[in-house]
Amino acid sequence: MTLRIRPPRLGRLRLGRDARLGLALALPVALIMGGLVFLPLLSTLFDSLFRVEPMKPGSPFVGVRNYTNLLKDSTVNAAWITTAIYVALAVFIETVGGLAAALLLNRIKIGRRWLLAIVVLPWCLPPVVNAIIWMWIYNPSYGLLNGLLLSAGIIDTPQVWFNNRETGLLLVSVVHAWRMMPLTVIILLAALQSIPAELYEAARLDGATGWQRLRKITLPLIAPGLAIALSQSTVFAVNLFDEAWILNGASLDTRSVIIQVYVLAFQNMKFSSGMALSVLTMVISLAVSMIYVLRVYRETRFE
Amino acid sequence: MSRRFKHLPGQVGLCLGVALLVLWSVGPVYWSFVTSITPPNALVSDNLHFWPQTTTWEHYAKLFGATSTSQGNEVASVWPQFSRAFANSLITSLAATALVVIIAAFGAWAFVRLEFPGRNVLFVLVVATLAIPAYTVMIPLYRLMISMGLIDTYTGVTLIYVSAFLPLALWLMRSVYQAMPLSLEEAAWLDGASKLRAFVQIVLPLAGPGLVACGILTFLSAWGQFMVPLVFSPTLATKPLTVLIPEFVTRNYVDYGLMNAAGIIAILPPMLLVLFLNRYLVSGLMAGAGK
Repeated sequence: MTLRIRPPRLGRLRLGRDARLGLALALPVALIMGGLVFLPLLSTLFDSLFRVEPMKPGSPFVGVRNYTNLLKDSTVNAAWITTAIYVALAVFIETVGGLAAALLLNRIKIGRRWLLAIVVLPWCLPPVVNAIIWMWIYNPSYGLLNGLLLSAGIIDTPQVWFNNRETGLLLVSVVHAWRMMPLTVIILLAALQSIPAELYEAARLDGATGWQRLRKITLPLIAPGLAIALSQSTVFAVNLFDEAWILNGASLDTRSVIIQVYVLAFQNMKFSSGMALSVLTMVISLAVSMIYVLRVYRETRFE
Repeated sequence: MSRRFKHLPGQVGLCLGVALLVLWSVGPVYWSFVTSITPPNALVSDNLHFWPQTTTWEHYAKLFGATSTSQGNEVASVWPQFSRAFANSLITSLAATALVVIIAAFGAWAFVRLEFPGRNVLFVLVVATLAIPAYTVMIPLYRLMISMGLIDTYTGVTLIYVSAFLPLALWLMRSVYQAMPLSLEEAAWLDGASKLRAFVQIVLPLAGPGLVACGILTFLSAWGQFMVPLVFSPTLATKPLTVLIPEFVTRNYVDYGLMNAAGIIAILPPMLLVLFLNRYLVSGLMAGAGK
């Protein structure tokens, strides 16, 4: 992303009243976003090429060495793999569960508003509190999960869930998906509601089964919504921090890339490594959400 | 009659699905509430009870009380910290909400109805930041805030929240204004009202639901923030509930009753919003995400 703001040609252009009013109203936006987002962003890009560490004197130019060091760092690579697993698990749970919930809600006529409010609830709660609620459910000695599985006879002894990396990753993903699924539900429900009912009527007359109607009508028509839902859930999963941090701290087993950024920058005080890693994560997030951004851009341009 | 029977399996499936969805969404919160009113010795028993055999408010009393006991020993009350953190959460979230709503209300209208140099560039740039994760700018922001002396101040935290949640609000309000017919304003212009006056007197009142939606989304996001205050609010001067509550864990003994009680208090404001304003919330989410 490059900042290219063409200076107004002052000689020719006397700003009219509208333009002055517009500039005045947009000024707070420009100031806040410029000062607190765009400049820091440029500074992140720039400083990631230097060695910026409060514990060491000076900040020499190191080129891409911060980046190459990250690629060689086995802890960082492990964090990438962990994040990839979170993305796969969370996006799968959110999309499958979210689609099922949206299809269900779309068929409900009475009390849909209240059901929707209930479904949206997890998304509204502070992620930290969600994680604490689930931490107690996952508790090895007195947790609900162990209790339910024991009484159902699925396990014979209480499990210390986070002793096992695979289980830990799954449980963190479930908490994340529990919080983020409502967004997928809302997006898909909006897409479902835009499908004209006559299409289903016609398909029913042609003798299409429910499964065929889903495959041939519903899924193709909600594809744009599905793309947005997928890119949103992917970006949020790439940025997973709160849940893993609360449930298992900085443990290497469940350390996501963002936790790694936090540890690098604010615990090891290696600002420039942290910045380089956050730049890499941003690039990946941006690449994934390109679908979303491109849609936004197209819409704003053709006006 | 036959028609009803034909639909019976579908109806049963529908009810089952709804039950499952409600259980998934509310179950964990319900369990947390049950935990928060269960006596400590019952929490560490082997038997699960979906409603406690005896209920107690002692965990809440510990939060709100002047003194408290833990395992028989008198310990320092958490109320001073807890009340302070609650106030901090409320102050920063409300301040950020007010600023975002006001700036977005006027700014988005300018982006829709006024021609000014740099309009499209600025809008595209701002909306593009929706796709940029907040932590990317965290380290430079940290150094900036230190140099300006804004670490651990309401101003610093609030400004960061505003910069993080303004893009979505602008995007939402823009779609609200775009959906309004221009003729409303034009009539006022013909009567001699200035553009700004026509906007404030005619458009703004009609944009109420959109503004409420923006306000709810901003408040919820600010209220739930964790990583930003973890870095920018190191002491109780501005530390919010989301950072304070997990600190109850790091003591040598984890008081789950207390933590769940604190969690229930922390989710009350969002719960109330969902309960009373869910219409605006859902429409806001649909407009924000579905576009």
